[in-house]
Amino acid sequence: MTAPDKTIAITAIGAISQFGKGFGALEAGILNGECHLVSVGDLFDGFKGSMGRIGALPEIEHPERYSRTDRLACEAAREAAESAGLDEKLLHSAAVIMASTVTGLSEIDSAIGADPASWYRQAGLQRAATYPVSHVAGAVAEQLGTRGPVLSVSVACASGSMALALGANLLLDGQVPVVLAGGSDAISAFTTSGFLSLQALDREPCRPFDTTRKGLNLGEGAAVLVMETLAHARARQAHVLGTLRSWAMSNDAYHPTAPDKDGRGLARAIGLAREMAGASLDEIGYINAHGTGTPLNDIAETHAYELAFAGRSRPIPVSSTKSYTGHCLAAAGALEAAITILALRHGALFPTLRLESPIASPTVEYLRGPLRRESITAAMSVSAGFGGSNAALLFGGPCV
Amino acid sequence: MIRPPLVTGFGSVTAFGPASGLLSNLEIAPEPASWLAEPPRRAYTVKPFQASTLVPGAKTRRLDRLSTWTLVASHLALNDAGIDLETIDRSRVAVLFASGYGCVELTGSFFSSAHKNGWAGTDPITFPETLANAPAAHAALFHRLQGPNLTLCHAGFAAEYALQTAASLLRHGQADRVIVAAGDALCPALYAWFEEARLLSPECFGTGPVQNPAGLIPSEGVVALVLEAESSAHGNGYARLLDCQLDADAERIRPLASGATRIFCSGGGSPCLTHDATEAVRALAGPSATIFAAHPAAHGLAESGGLLHLLLALSQHPAPGPALQLGCDLRHYFGLQWEVL
Repeated sequence: MTAPDKTIAITAIGAISQFGKGFGALEAGILNGECHLVSVGDLFDGFKGSMGRIGALPEIEHPERYSRTDRLACEAAREAAESAGLDEKLLHSAAVIMASTVTGLSEIDSAIGADPASWYRQAGLQRAATYPVSHVAGAVAEQLGTRGPVLSVSVACASGSMALALGANLLLDGQVPVVLAGGSDAISAFTTSGFLSLQALDREPCRPFDTTRKGLNLGEGAAVLVMETLAHARARQAHVLGTLRSWAMSNDAYHPTAPDKDGRGLARAIGLAREMAGASLDEIGYINAHGTGTPLNDIAETHAYELAFAGRSRPIPVSSTKSYTGHCLAAAGALEAAITILALRHGALFPTLRLESPIASPTVEYLRGPLRRESITAAMSVSAGFGGSNAALLFGGPCV
Repeated sequence: MIRPPLVTGFGSVTAFGPASGLLSNLEIAPEPASWLAEPPRRAYTVKPFQASTLVPGAKTRRLDRLSTWTLVASHLALNDAGIDLETIDRSRVAVLFASGYGCVELTGSFFSSAHKNGWAGTDPITFPETLANAPAAHAALFHRLQGPNLTLCHAGFAAEYALQTAASLLRHGQADRVIVAAGDALCPALYAWFEEARLLSPECFGTGPVQNPAGLIPSEGVVALVLEAESSAHGNGYARLLDCQLDADAERIRPLASGATRIFCSGGGSPCLTHDATEAVRALAGPSATIFAAHPAAHGLAESGGLLHLLLALSQHPAPGPALQLGCDLRHYFGLQWEVL
């Protein structure tokens, strides 16, 4: 057992997802196996396909100052801060670390490409001012009134997990007593067009880890986790949802967009996280995978698990909950961290939806069919992204 | 007890030109930006250069300029640090990139192609290069660096946060060496935003130098440094990073100024350029401190200039000893406590 002042406790989670507003909605939706991928045809001409979209967002003061990504982030952060019972003093000193890739791109249309100055005059400078990645964390800090460090992370689809890893480092460094860390991204024409151009989208609901998989579905959402040391949480008698036992990051240094086909970089991150926690191969009871549904990712990820869990006594249970929500980009790591904590709390191993013909592997058990109930003590969430970055987060129960 | 990490190498691609190590010529002036056709506007710009002449084998034709500069600056910093990548464990080398705006040049190109061809007709090669983490990814890919690879963004203190995060990675044993790079690139859309927002200095419009520019002279470029655990470093290095602190209360930064007789004015909008802020710095550092004022070329890298501020200060060869790098924005002070070697 790690000392309480060196153990990272998760004391609240805020979320807004396809299941609805709130961590409770995420909890109920994922346990019920609800899929919220729907066909959309109005995002821009030339695109029709499945997406995990969220409807109208709650009202906010001065909405023109915030992008959709900002608003998703603020909604999740507000719930997280309230649920954690942070008093004004703690909130003032808290750090905010938010991941995003889309940021304010959802607020900018293609006409800016013709004449930027004219676009600014017509559409307003404030819309473009939401473009920097830093705007998301800044918006959360402004809405919550925090005065501690405010940092944004943008490492493609591994961003959300990395925000949590950096938050954990910051706590161990003693820089702040509390960190609000997570990720947020909205669906935008820019990003959808980019993935469409790469032929990475499946028009139908995605089938991660299926031999017939064709690509990913984009989603949107946000999740924010309140992190503090276990000692700090106990001192203020905070409710502990789970612990972040360890975390690790690596890079493939292999290709700008494709993962290392042998999964070596991701396997290294998993191994480092396991080593940091001192967890045995058999101790990890479930992996919430990156599992995008693209042909390249899912086979590389399978190879990573085969490398990282070679010698395990039984296949490692793995699933992709992107089959419920779509790929929420920088929010994915944070949302999936929340889902991994739910797996531990409920003893629930979530299946991948629509998985009929899983990739064959002697080391990996791709979960499918009905929800499996099984008590587990450690579960991992892994993420990877363009640029070769990987992250692995190992979670445990409330008291390790 | 883990010893504070050392800065062992610098590489830069800025308006001062590409450089390995400290800068020798600090006298530059803003020039008309070639990529702004009409009307002429001035900025501190990076002159075009062939990356492969500095980094043999580098293929940068399709990269955003920010990615190219990050790759080149990282390479120059590794050379300056005397690091032979063939002899070290590359999985223990991290890359941290800090930026305010990311790859704006190709983001603009992607918008232009969508405007011209529709969203269904955009270029698959351009899209991944628009991502904010593309510069860090290319630096890692070229040098085959497999440690943590992160891109951090902040309005004002992006570089300072990257240094703090790098020190944290070293402290927690998550890397032995970190390449920290920070910078931004200008493009017509970004420059137009500065202009429409009325943030520009009169000097941008060609009216000649002004004594106390109230506005920004936009700047571009990337500075990279190598931060190493002392146990990994070959030589003494330039400076040792002792501590970092961000706080809304200047008084809580004061301990970092203890014993510091040199103050390097840093980012966050660089109010050290103004009389009031200089007074604030004086109050922190005491009357005998030597203040290294922020250079406008670093000030112009508004969000990510922290490493250029540091490089410019060290290039003036301050005497060895304690120094404080101090930046302030509207809400916070960010102090970096250095020991100049």
